Amino acid sequence: MPVKQKEPLIMHPRPSSIVAALYTLRDLDTDVVILHGPPGCSFKHARLLEEDGMRVVTTSLDETGFVFGGHDALVEVLEKVIKRFNPKRIGIVGTCASMIIGEELHEAVMDVQPDVPVIEVEVHAGYRDNTKGVIIALESALACGIISEVEFERQKSLLKEATMVEKRHGAASKEYLEPSRGDLKYKVAERLIELIKQGKKGINILNAKKETAFMFADINLAVAQVAQNLGNGPNIINMANLDVNLGLPKNRRNAHEVKDDLEKAGMEIHHIIGGLDEYPIAGNTASQIIGEKYADYDFAVITGVPHALPMDNLKNMELFSITNGPRQVVPLKEMGHKHVVVEIDLHPKTLGVNHIVESEFGATLREMVKDA
Amino acid sequence: MPKTIAIYGKGGIGKSSTASNVAAACADEGYRVTIIGCDPKSDSSITLLRGRRIPTIMDLMREGEDIKEDDIVFTGYKGVKCVEIGGPEPGIGCAGRGIIVAIALLRKISTAIEDTDLVIYDVPGDIVCGGFVAPVKKGLVKEAYVLTSGEYMPLYAANNICKGLSRLEMTLNGVICNSRGADNEEKIVSEFAKEIGSQLLAFIPKDVLVQTCEREGYSVIEKAPDSAIAGVYRKLAKAIMADKDAKIAVPLDDKRLRELTRI
Ligand SMILES: Nc1ncnc2c1ncn2[C@@H]1O[C@H](COP(=O)(O)OP(=O)(O)OP(=O)(O)O)[C@@H](O)[C@H]1O
Ligand code: SF4
Ligand SMILES: [Mg+2]
Repeated sequence: MPVKQKEPLIMHPRPSSIVAALYTLRDLDTDVVILHGPPGCSFKHARLLEEDGMRVVTTSLDETGFVFGGHDALVEVLEKVIKRFNPKRIGIVGTCASMIIGEELHEAVMDVQPDVPVIEVEVHAGYRDNTKGVIIALESALACGIISEVEFERQKSLLKEATMVEKRHGAASKEYLEPSRGDLKYKVAERLIELIKQGKKGINILNAKKETAFMFADINLAVAQVAQNLGNGPNIINMANLDVNLGLPKNRRNAHEVKDDLEKAGMEIHHIIGGLDEYPIAGNTASQIIGEKYADYDFAVITGVPHALPMDNLKNMELFSITNGPRQVVPLKEMGHKHVVVEIDLHPKTLGVNHIVESEFGATLREMVKDA
Repeated sequence: MPKTIAIYGKGGIGKSSTASNVAAACADEGYRVTIIGCDPKSDSSITLLRGRRIPTIMDLMREGEDIKEDDIVFTGYKGVKCVEIGGPEPGIGCAGRGIIVAIALLRKISTAIEDTDLVIYDVPGDIVCGGFVAPVKKGLVKEAYVLTSGEYMPLYAANNICKGLSRLEMTLNGVICNSRGADNEEKIVSEFAKEIGSQLLAFIPKDVLVQTCEREGYSVIEKAPDSAIAGVYRKLAKAIMADKDAKIAVPLDDKRLRELTRI
């Protein structure tokens, strides 16, 4: 009997729910996470997360573990983790391998009885939307009393929106998306500088997902600085999703750090459009403000998650968007974004930092104005 | 809190027919009963539904439909709620994972395993992988029973099951003898029960009625309520519903098992 697909197939590789759970545990200030599964599972991200100070270890299930179960290995690693790292908060994350064979993460926790909270995340990588990994992690954090019911509900509705954003114009919008490097940075910078020189009015929006703001904000800062240097600073309106009172602990801290850097560099943020985890909905707030106050502006620079901004009030502007997803170029062009720039490998550079990091596009803008 | 039980035993020894007859007998007593078929064969509830085969949770998942309670919980003899988990076709995919997923779904969309007096999980003879003990590991099964005849192989299987249960720190609530007509059968199984630290709850004689009723799609409780064997199932049902001591079973060594079957 054929197995029917509930939703159309998507062929290009997409973010994993296991990895999403790992990042969520980091945002919850977890010290050590045990990946219960094969040694190579989620290796790249496990390694990157160490830059942010979270340890990731693995139970290293092998063929024998798949066949005979991994309970003893998990108990052993949990005991070792407690001894070696003396963590205040531990996470245990499932993988496809351990979940298929029916491993019970909770059994190992019952055996070891650690005196610090353990967030158990029964997740595998087989979910269509990687946000499922975040939800499962948060459910478990809620059960441990680490987050409140209110925060949980808030996160859940944000994640639903995030999934919708990806379905509409993001990574889940098509059966296959061709990756692209986007438009040439100096060409795009040239056009942007030309508009600023002409005294055109522009909106400069940061709508970044969590820590990626550390680099995306550099681009918004460069735009503001370039306009200032060209004597047209007041023509630019700055908006950013940098509310310091919203989100999980790490997100709040990061919003603070980025905002501080921007203000110290002399950039005025005219409108705060949401928190760092509100990238799926902050665009709506931005759109509304634009409709009310800046509908006649000439251009907009949007960094981070540009595809989350509704097009209604941007239609008549020349759009410059900066993304870190090579697969986001095609959907953005189709939405009507004239210039799309990719900051390749942005995310890794925003881990383990607490200040703004220089971006290629920002550097290009600054350099070109210096030359002029 | 409902009583939640599973009957274990060697493949083909009579777990499903015992489960459905006990379900029917308890329903006669006025209990609300739910039976969950955890066997990919999905043959647990057929005799409670007059021979009707209901769609399994796995069938519907395969169809990719959004599954609602009405699609998977069916009402059989005297209100017994019947659910079949089903599974992939033999030799394909992973039936164990299917059970894990189906149990999670059932808990989410239905109250059939909470809002009731007795839940019987009918499991296949061979607990081949982790998925098949998901109901136990998830804490859904609180009482375990072992069904065996007095022959060596079924007893060997029963003894192994006791090992498995004690590894899971599950207590054993009783041993049931389903006779295959061996000599001294009641005595052998009763002795076995005693030695592992449990008790014999019932001796079910071999009776062709079980099979003839089954062929028509009925339990003996429904089709032959006045038969002697129906009386045996009623007695067993009472013993299961009664509160009793349960200890972690102490399995026997193989030598003792062989001796026992020679009585
Ligand atoms: N006491 C009995 N007298 C006569 N026949 C019986 C008796 N108990 C069970 N049977 C018959 O034995 C056969 C196997 O029984 P059943 O399917 O219940 O076994 P099972 O243990 O559930 O098997 P499996 O391990 O394959 O699930 C059936 O045809 C059933 O009618
Ligand atoms: S298949 Fe699943 S368990 Fe295996 S490496 Fe990939 S994500 Fe990890
Ligand atoms: Mg059976």
